[in-house]
Amino acid sequence: MTLLEFASGPGLQWALWIFTFGVLWRLVGALFLLSRKDLSKPRRYSSFAAGIGAVISRSAPAHSFEKKIRFQHVTGYAWHFALFISVLFFAPHIIFFESVLGFSWPHLPNTIILVTGVIAIGVLVTLLIRRATHPVQRFISNADDYISILVVLVPLVTGILAFAHFGARYETLLAIHLLSVEAMLIWFPFGKLMHAVMTIPARFQAGTAFGRRGVKA
Amino acid sequence: MSSLDTIPICTEVATGNVEPLLHEIRHALRRLAEGKEGTVIDLKRLPLAPGEEERIAATLGTGEVRAEVDALGPTLIQETSYPGVWLITHKNADNVVVARFVEVTYIPELLRSQQADIDAGINRLENELKN
Amino acid sequence: MRKDQNLGEYLRMQGVSRRGFLKFCSATASLMALPPSAVSQVAEALATARRPSVIWMSFQECTGCTESLTRSHAPTVESLIFDAISLDYHHTLQAAAGHGAEAAREAAMEENKGKYILVVDGSIPNGNNGYSTIAGISNYDMLIEAAENCFAIVAVGTCAAFGGLPNANPNPTGAVSVSDIIKDKPIINVSGCPPIPVVITGVLAHFLTFGTIPELDALGRPVAFFGQNIHDRCYRRPFYERGQFAETFDDEGARKGWCLYKLGCKGPTTYNACATLKWNQGTSFPIQSGHGCIGCSEPNFWDKGGFYDPISAGQWGSRDALLGAAAAGAALGVGSALAARARKKKAQAAEEV
Repeated sequence: MTLLEFASGPGLQWALWIFTFGVLWRLVGALFLLSRKDLSKPRRYSSFAAGIGAVISRSAPAHSFEKKIRFQHVTGYAWHFALFISVLFFAPHIIFFESVLGFSWPHLPNTIILVTGVIAIGVLVTLLIRRATHPVQRFISNADDYISILVVLVPLVTGILAFAHFGARYETLLAIHLLSVEAMLIWFPFGKLMHAVMTIPARFQAGTAFGRRGVKA
Repeated sequence: MSSLDTIPICTEVATGNVEPLLHEIRHALRRLAEGKEGTVIDLKRLPLAPGEEERIAATLGTGEVRAEVDALGPTLIQETSYPGVWLITHKNADNVVVARFVEVTYIPELLRSQQADIDAGINRLENELKN
Repeated sequence: MRKDQNLGEYLRMQGVSRRGFLKFCSATASLMALPPSAVSQVAEALATARRPSVIWMSFQECTGCTESLTRSHAPTVESLIFDAISLDYHHTLQAAAGHGAEAAREAAMEENKGKYILVVDGSIPNGNNGYSTIAGISNYDMLIEAAENCFAIVAVGTCAAFGGLPNANPNPTGAVSVSDIIKDKPIINVSGCPPIPVVITGVLAHFLTFGTIPELDALGRPVAFFGQNIHDRCYRRPFYERGQFAETFDDEGARKGWCLYKLGCKGPTTYNACATLKWNQGTSFPIQSGHGCIGCSEPNFWDKGGFYDPISAGQWGSRDALLGAAAAGAALGVGSALAARARKKKAQAAEEV
C-alpha cells in the first residue's frame, strides 16, 4: 500500500471515525449536562430569543473592550474568513465533502483560493508568533493552544505545497497533506479546536441562562 | 436524438504557449542575424492545445520557398513569411506527421545535398557513363 | 538485415539516402525526448549501431502491447527501429511454432549470452505456476531462464511492470510483475495499458543509439516519457485553474472541453507522455477525446477507486460507518453526562449530610 493509498483510505477512515465519535461524545455530553428543571420562575419567558441574541451579540467585542482589542478582533475574523474560503470553496475539497455529506455547493476559482490560503497562513503565523512572544499571551498559553494551532497550520502549508506541486512528487505532497488533515481531525475533539463546535451552543447557553435572570448577556 | 455530428466539441482552449514560442523564434532570428548559430525548435515537445500548432503555422505564414523532400515518406520544408524561419514537417509513408520542427537558419540541413549521397551518386554516374 | 551489419549500412542497403537517414534521426531524437541539438550525436551513434538481439516473451497478457506496437504496416520511424533490432523470438509475431521455435529461442539466447535484450509483456502467475505456460514451460521458469543471461529486461505494459489487470483484486492467479521475481538485472518498466507505441520504440531507440539503459524514475520507468504527470502537461489545465469543470459527460462544460477532474480524471497522480506525445501518431489522447485519465501507467490503477470517482473523494469507506461512529459517540456522551450528573448528585447528597 502506498502512502497516498493509506492516507486516502484507512487513514482517512479512522480519522473520520475518531473525529465523528469524539465530537459527538463531547457535544452531546455537554448538552446533557445542562439541567432542565426550572427551579424558580424565570424573569423572561423567551429564553430562545435571549440565546440567539447572545450568539449574535458576542460576535463582536463588548463595547468597552472594542478599541483595546481591535487587532485581535480584525485578525481573528481575517483568519477565519480566509480559512473557511480556502477549505470550503476549493473545488477538490468540495468533492471530498460531497463524498462524506452527500451534497455539494458552488466553488471559487483556484487563484482566489490561493490568495486566501496565503492570507490564512500569514495571519496564523503572525498570531502564533504573538502568542509565543507577548508576555501575557505566553503566560496563559498551554500545550493545547500550540498543538491546536500547529495541527491547523500544517494542512494549510502542505495544501499550498501540493497545489503548487512544489517540494516533492505530487502524490507524496498530496499524501502528506491528507495525513496532516487526518492528524487535525484526530486532535480536534480533544483540544481547543472544539471551539468550532462549541461556540454557538456555549453562547446560546450563556444567553438563556442570563436571560432567565433578566440580564442581557 | 440528434446525430453525433451536431454535437459541438471544438474547444477554445489555450495553453498560453503560442506567444512565448513566437518570442523564442524572434530571439533566435536576432541571434542568427548577429552571426551566431541557428536554432531548431521541436514542436512536439511543447504541450499545445488542438489548433494551436495550426495557429503558429498560420501566424508564421508562407514565404518564397517551398520544398518537398521525398525520403522515407514526404517532408515539407516551407520558408515562412519571415526569412530565415523554416517550418519542417516530417511525414512517414502513411502520410502521418512524425515530427515537426521550426528551424531558424540560412538553409535547413535537410535541403543541402549530403556528402555520403554525393559520393554514392558519383559512383553511379561514372558507372552510367561507362555503359 | 545481416547480423554483422550496422544500422547505417542496413539503411543504405534499403535505399535510404543520407538525407533520409538524417530525417530518421531527427524524428528518432524527437521520439526520445532529446533536444534537436542532439540529432548529430544520434546520427553518429545510429550509423554505427550494432543490431541487438531481442527475445520477446509474452506471459499473462492480452496482447494489447504487441498490438499497440505493430499497428502500422508502412515503413514508419517506429517500424524501422523495430526492424533494426533482431527480434529472435516473439510467439505472436513469429511464423515458427512448436519445438522448433523454442529451440530457436534457446539458440539465440546462447549465441548472444549477456548481450540480448529480454522484452516481457504480461504478468507472471505466482500462485500456481500452471496457470500460464508456453510449450509446457511455466512463465515463471521461462522468465528465470531467459533473465539469467540477458543484458537488460524491458517490462512492456502495466502487467509486466506492476502486475496490471491480473494483479487486480482478488488476484486469483497470484499475478506478479517482472521486478517482483527478477532482482539482479536492470529492468526498464514501460508501463501503460497499453504503453504509447512510440514510448516502446523510444526505449529501443535509446538502446540502439547509446547502448545503455535510459534514466529511470523510482518505479523504474524512463524519465524521458514518465517524468511528468498528465495534469502538468494537460491542455485543459487552464480550466482546472479557473474552476471550470464538466459535471457530466454531456453537459455544456463537457462540450466546451472543460476539465474532467470531477468525472474522475486521474491525471494529477498519473505519469505518462499521453498529454504531449498523444496516441495514434499525435492524434489525440483520452482527455482530449472527453474521457478522464484512468491512470493506466500507475501500479494498482484497477484498485484505486472507481474510474469516475474524483481523486479527492478518497476511498475512506461508507457514510453508514460514520453514522455508526456518530451514534456511538452520542451514546458515550449521554453516558458520561449521566455519570457526571450522578456524581454531582452524590457529592451534593454527601455535602448535605
